[in-house]
Amino acid sequence: MIRIQQILPNTKITHLILFLAIIPVLQFADAQNVPQASEEGKRVYEKSCAHCHGTEGRGDGSAAENLLPKPRDFTRGLYKIRSTEAGELPTDQDLLDIITKGMPGSSMPGWETALSANERREVVAYIKTFHDGFKEQESPPRQISLAGKIAYSEESVEIGKGLYTELGCIECHGNIGRGDGTSAPTLTDEWGFQTWPANLAQSWNFRGGSDTEDIFKRFIGGLAGSPMPAFEGDSFLNFGLTSAESKRLTELENRDEMTAAEEEESGQYYEKMDAAVNIALNIAEGTELSAEEQQTYTEAMKVVYEKSWHLANYVKSLAPEKRPEPAIGNNVLRSQYVTDALPAKTDAAWDTLESSHFPLVAQVIIEPRQFNPTIDSVNVKSFYNDTEVAFLFTWDDRTHTTAEEDEETGNILEDALAIQFPVKIPQGPTAPKPYFLWGGRLPVYLWQWKASAPDQVTELTAKGINNAEAQAVQSDIQAEGSYTNGQYTLWVKRALKTDDKKDLQLEPGVFVPIAFSAWDGANGDINTKRVISSWYAFVLEPVPSSKRFIYPPLVALLSVGLLLGLRGFVQRRNS
Amino acid sequence: MKRLSLFTKCLIIFIGCWVFLRFIVGNVISVPIPGSVIAMYMGLIIVAILVHISVEDTRFREFLRPIHETLVDNNRRVRRRVIAVLIPLFLLGYTYSIIAQRTNPPGNPRDAHPSPPLEITYKDEVIGATQEVENPFRHYEKDDPEAFRAHVENGKRVYYDNCFYCHGDDLDGQGHFAPHIQPLPANFQDPGIIPNFQESFLFWRISKGGPGLPAAGTPWDSAMPIWENYLTKDEIWDVILFLSDYTGYQPRTFGEGH
Repeated sequence: MIRIQQILPNTKITHLILFLAIIPVLQFADAQNVPQASEEGKRVYEKSCAHCHGTEGRGDGSAAENLLPKPRDFTRGLYKIRSTEAGELPTDQDLLDIITKGMPGSSMPGWETALSANERREVVAYIKTFHDGFKEQESPPRQISLAGKIAYSEESVEIGKGLYTELGCIECHGNIGRGDGTSAPTLTDEWGFQTWPANLAQSWNFRGGSDTEDIFKRFIGGLAGSPMPAFEGDSFLNFGLTSAESKRLTELENRDEMTAAEEEESGQYYEKMDAAVNIALNIAEGTELSAEEQQTYTEAMKVVYEKSWHLANYVKSLAPEKRPEPAIGNNVLRSQYVTDALPAKTDAAWDTLESSHFPLVAQVIIEPRQFNPTIDSVNVKSFYNDTEVAFLFTWDDRTHTTAEEDEETGNILEDALAIQFPVKIPQGPTAPKPYFLWGGRLPVYLWQWKASAPDQVTELTAKGINNAEAQAVQSDIQAEGSYTNGQYTLWVKRALKTDDKKDLQLEPGVFVPIAFSAWDGANGDINTKRVISSWYAFVLEPVPSSKRFIYPPLVALLSVGLLLGLRGFVQRRNS
Repeated sequence: MKRLSLFTKCLIIFIGCWVFLRFIVGNVISVPIPGSVIAMYMGLIIVAILVHISVEDTRFREFLRPIHETLVDNNRRVRRRVIAVLIPLFLLGYTYSIIAQRTNPPGNPRDAHPSPPLEITYKDEVIGATQEVENPFRHYEKDDPEAFRAHVENGKRVYYDNCFYCHGDDLDGQGHFAPHIQPLPANFQDPGIIPNFQESFLFWRISKGGPGLPAAGTPWDSAMPIWENYLTKDEIWDVILFLSDYTGYQPRTFGEGH
């Protein structure tokens, strides 16, 4: 028999044992640091975090005033983006990930380049000192298991779609997920600040990432502090029932009358649900569970996990993988030529075009400013023919506001869109454009649309954001606007040329600056409070020249001739 | 192994040079070279090849031999036919691609260094000549470090209450409103920004914003607000101190060469 001493000297063995003993300690240390007010963590926090999150971590730094979502208040220990189950604190890795990657759609940036990995780790330990729960933590938080992942498939999306309605997601997130549910405008977070449900069609604004796993974790863990509940206990429909039982119960509930046997059957389901919900409450309160209760809870959560994967697949199906490429550079909006009449608003011809994507930003230049925009972008398509041009604008807005009185100011708020062009197209790349914010020394020409008069566009001339006037002579502009499922669609048609010198005159092949302003009445947008864009460009894409069918064959023929001629010449010289 | 003919060698050199300039330099060594510059280099290479082959009469004849053979020799018939099809086809496609090319919008040329006016003003109040105005709090850096810290701290507050939306938490021009503003907000971590300007210039840019840019050198399209409408004179000077304190870059002082 070979003994270990024969291979290693005694000192080495001691080292080996020490090393092996250290491994679990290292791992634990890596998973959950003790909250630690290190000098370094404090220094980093005060340099980079305190201006928003406050010196004492209450989320009340001086910059917080104009931010929504508000910077996190670390003293409550409520964290939205976690890999841990409902009611648990986040892991260190969760906090580190948020600091590293930031939270899209909010003012929290990623700190990957600004702070070193060590600085970020130190600041995680420091942030944890603001909430006592981290110190009292006895065991690491329960992690959400991703083991049972259900792969993306049409079937799963279909099941998820059913659950989306059944579980009541619609109430906040709307029929097809644009965040336009009936209760959307009424939601507040744990601190009483207004909060909007996510627009599930804009995955690039998901705070915790848009991978299916990310979405799944938000369901299981909930977004602590926000109105989004964790899928557990009484916040999950028919918690404690299997899928089949759940289906059967819904079926029974939908009957006008139940037989005695059916009454009894549904009664059993209710009892089962009550038991499961009670166990969930016990867990939240920290009560020890019996083996049997643990078993019931595990069974109930198995159903929740399975349904959540289907729902995550459905949510994943609602949005593109990332934000569409903005219409800048060569990716400009190109109006396509048609020989016949331009398509009407609902014509299928629009589906043949790709949208051009114009992100909008908050107007923070001129008072009163809007720091917390709710409209993300506007998408545009366009056709033109020999005499007219038609545009189709679509933009997401969670609320349909046509005339609502602002309680504070008494202003009548409504949703609106304005499309801006220069009056005169600048000639050449260095020619000045009008100031992008509704003109200045050089005037701009605007199409103003308002939700209260959806089939009308007014022509304005502006020389400044507070200096716009409706034109005395309105050209014949046709417009049709509508609002469905959290999205506005506006169709506008105008002649390429008008008699009015204050109007934009259009010609194929000429690049025209274009910019947008949009107002969300429910967000308090009015006048200068709005979202805007800087100048983009659009062009009536010229019909490709017919020369492309003439010159290339000519050149090819010519080259054949030249080759033959050369051969003849060489042959003649040889002979 | 059969020796390569002079013609093949020249062809290999020509194509090799083009591949090197177009792909190796552009993707591996440095940034892509503009097409016109590549064309110029290739012209030089053709001249070099022509000089090389025409130095001796025999060399010139050796160069022409494969062309000659391809054109007339009976045992080169296949090669001849392939070439007679490939060359016209290539020209057909090439001409078509040039004619059918989409027109692209004009670029956005931008003078990154506007000339400041002769005088620095705050609203209508003249502060002094651009070449003379200094940050009134800069001297605290040496005279009274505590007072200096207080000004930097106030500058920090001003920055995070007003500027970070666009210029970013880390002053890197990547604030949460920044990605969709054209042109992008200034990145103060870029060594080409703060060290290149005097504090009076920074004061001018901050106080007058995009609309205060000179008429020459358009289009500006800057989204920078006119900060004198919102900030006091002292706040602007303080935020300038913060910019250089945070990034570690010192603004240019008077008397330094440009």
